[in-house]
Amino acid sequence: MEIDKKLIEEIVRAVIEEVSLNQEPGNLSSKKEDLGQISVGNFLSGKKPASRGTNPKEVVIGVGPAFNTHIHKTINGLDLSEVLDNIKAGIEEEGMIPRVVKVFKSSDVAFIGIEAAKLSGSGIGIGLQSKGTALIHQRDLYPLSNLELFPQAPLLNLETYRAIGKNAARYAKGEKVTPIEGRNDPMTRPKYQVKAAVMHIKETELVNRKQVTIEW
Amino acid sequence: MKLIAGVDIGNSTTEVCIGSIQDDGSLRFLSSSCSVTTGTKGTLTNVEGIITALKEAVGQIDKRIEDLSLIRINEATPVIGDTAMETITETIITESSMIGHNPNTPAGAGQAVGLTLNIHNLDDYSRTGKIKSNNDYILVVDKEYPYSKIAKIINKYSSNYKIVGLILQADEAVLVENRLDKKIPIVDEVRGVDRIPEGKLAAIEVAYPGETIRMLSNPYGLATLLNLNPDETRAVTPIAKSLIGKRSAVVIKTPYENVKENVLPAGEIYIESLEGKNYKVTIDTGAEKIMEIVSQVDSIKDIHGQECTNVGNMFSRIKKGMAEVSDEDEIIRISDILAVDTLAPVPIAGAISGETGMEKAVGIAAMVRTKMLPMERIARALRERLRIYVQVAGVEAVMASIGALTTPGTRLPLAILDLGGGSTDAALIDSDGQVRSIHKAGAGEMVTMLIQTELGLSSRATADEIKKYPLAKVESLYHMRLENGAMKFFEEPIDPRLFGQVVLLHPEGLVKIDEEDISLEKIVSVRREAKKKVFVTNAIRALTEIAPDHNLRNIPNVVLVGGSALDFEVPEMLMDELSNYKVVCGRGNIRRQEGPRNAVATGLVMSYVGEG
Repeated sequence: MEIDKKLIEEIVRAVIEEVSLNQEPGNLSSKKEDLGQISVGNFLSGKKPASRGTNPKEVVIGVGPAFNTHIHKTINGLDLSEVLDNIKAGIEEEGMIPRVVKVFKSSDVAFIGIEAAKLSGSGIGIGLQSKGTALIHQRDLYPLSNLELFPQAPLLNLETYRAIGKNAARYAKGEKVTPIEGRNDPMTRPKYQVKAAVMHIKETELVNRKQVTIEW
Repeated sequence: MKLIAGVDIGNSTTEVCIGSIQDDGSLRFLSSSCSVTTGTKGTLTNVEGIITALKEAVGQIDKRIEDLSLIRINEATPVIGDTAMETITETIITESSMIGHNPNTPAGAGQAVGLTLNIHNLDDYSRTGKIKSNNDYILVVDKEYPYSKIAKIINKYSSNYKIVGLILQADEAVLVENRLDKKIPIVDEVRGVDRIPEGKLAAIEVAYPGETIRMLSNPYGLATLLNLNPDETRAVTPIAKSLIGKRSAVVIKTPYENVKENVLPAGEIYIESLEGKNYKVTIDTGAEKIMEIVSQVDSIKDIHGQECTNVGNMFSRIKKGMAEVSDEDEIIRISDILAVDTLAPVPIAGAISGETGMEKAVGIAAMVRTKMLPMERIARALRERLRIYVQVAGVEAVMASIGALTTPGTRLPLAILDLGGGSTDAALIDSDGQVRSIHKAGAGEMVTMLIQTELGLSSRATADEIKKYPLAKVESLYHMRLENGAMKFFEEPIDPRLFGQVVLLHPEGLVKIDEEDISLEKIVSVRREAKKKVFVTNAIRALTEIAPDHNLRNIPNVVLVGGSALDFEVPEMLMDELSNYKVVCGRGNIRRQEGPRNAVATGLVMSYVGEG
């Protein structure tokens, strides 16, 4: 285990050095091709690889690779910092402890969620894509199965994110959860399809299977 | 050799028993079956269900229906039952003087007393000197203020003023508390904060984890905190009562008595006996008194309620409902009632945060005798369809008693107890073979109603399932704790939707209870209480009436038959209770193999031999 951690830390340090030697994180996509390795930019500096939590009160929120570095607002214009604050507040109100990690292995909300759940002391994690799609995951589940999914990101508001945090915390406590009131709009899909695709592509471009998940 | 079939059409299942009469006249049982009753019991639609059940039974012995020489069907019990519920007290808040509820996550523990103060006015008042530094204050905050801002404001002012408690509209108590320098009790999720008067003395209490509030639910506690005189203490008693069992509460002292417990004009019940005597009893004297009067009346002709009162409406509603079911133009006369005291969660009128109060209520099950159900018509239809001789033979209770006698270990005199849906039926077969039977109002449906009201469930179907199946709490995706405390593990992760839920162990899998915030323990205790109140009370009532000299001890054996004998806990409850009278009581085991089912069908076959 320890060797692993050391190795990881070393790799990260090496990567950060290399990246900071290069210029601004502006032309990332071109960098990606010639490096074929980590090219997520200098926003990695000072961030530690995420470790697995041991506190049973902990609920981990996993955010997507583009979160707040390349994408700053959800698909319907909510500020990502506020979204994250509300999820954290929901967890805290239920007496649990939130922790945020950034996942680079995938831009799929299910895989981000299960990665967070596996790092979480309670085994409960929240996956959050930069476009706003969220789910609650549990480490014993298959990636594509989950506890709760909130698929229509354009219809989510800050209260919903607060409620998602609360529910995740209640799962961690083994308590009964309250169903979250959802809105439904059949026009959402046609209206936001292009925007969703563009945002998802942007996030997917930053995916790097070799990059470890970091504390955020 | 002659094949005969006994058919018992019940409210929910149709049961068949097939026996063969040997040439020497002896009887052998060959097979039995059970299928769903098609349509309402006693109507022609039953024929389909009967044929299905017959086919299954003859199929087991490689015969065809045509091989049967005789089909005997039962004469159904001519009673129908109905239930109703009426609350007899109500709590009204006439001014916003109290808040008592169970927010999921209040914060800080303990109590505090202070003057109410709206956070909007804090700046103004401190500038104009309206806030005295020697007074204690309880801050009232609406949801415009985010938790971080509230905490900042309080931390800023707490050096100069004494802010001892906090009432929040939003669900942010823990969030605020985590950011406070000095911890104070915080009640949150109070919807109507705008209706809290300012500048009034208020007491606030948050219970310690795992406990409920102590001071505010105690009249003397309130008197201590709010400096009440003896008269005022008397006036706040309804407040204290309605706060019992809450995890957080606020009581505001206003100059008027402003929480009232009204006793509704519940009305009287009139009982008319066959001898023409009249009895009356007021409903707010409670179920015990009502049942005492009912037991004094030898034979009831009719029961009705005082007009234009709750109970009057309740009885006319029951009668109207029964008239529709019985589909006859006869006058509906109620021949028996069972009254049960219960508590129903009712929203308090004028409450600030949607509080509910547990109001006293009386549940009543009533039973009506109707004319014979048209079994002859069913027999005729069946005869035409199958071209086999069909006979309506024997009263249900008598047949059930004969069938029950095949249970090993029984002897005469023997009593059977059939706990059905609408009525509890008992029959006693004495050593001379004479059968006495009786029907009492109140059975399974009443239990369902009690469970529904006491738990405040929105659907009757949920209450019915709670009645039927044991509970468990899913603690992880791989294990759950059963209601008896045992642990059960799964090989594969279960459906994530069940995570953390209270579930019913339905034979087809786990079913979650779609109601918020009812603990497993609460459901179990309500369910068991309801079953006791109805089944145990009624079993004693019915058996006492048919027992020789009305003494339960004169019945050596009681056999439970029918579907409800399959209930997972009722037989044990009855066994417990009846063992006090030295009565042997248990689930029947008809013909050593059928369990409590098939008693009537078996009796029908056996009685044919008896008739020769």
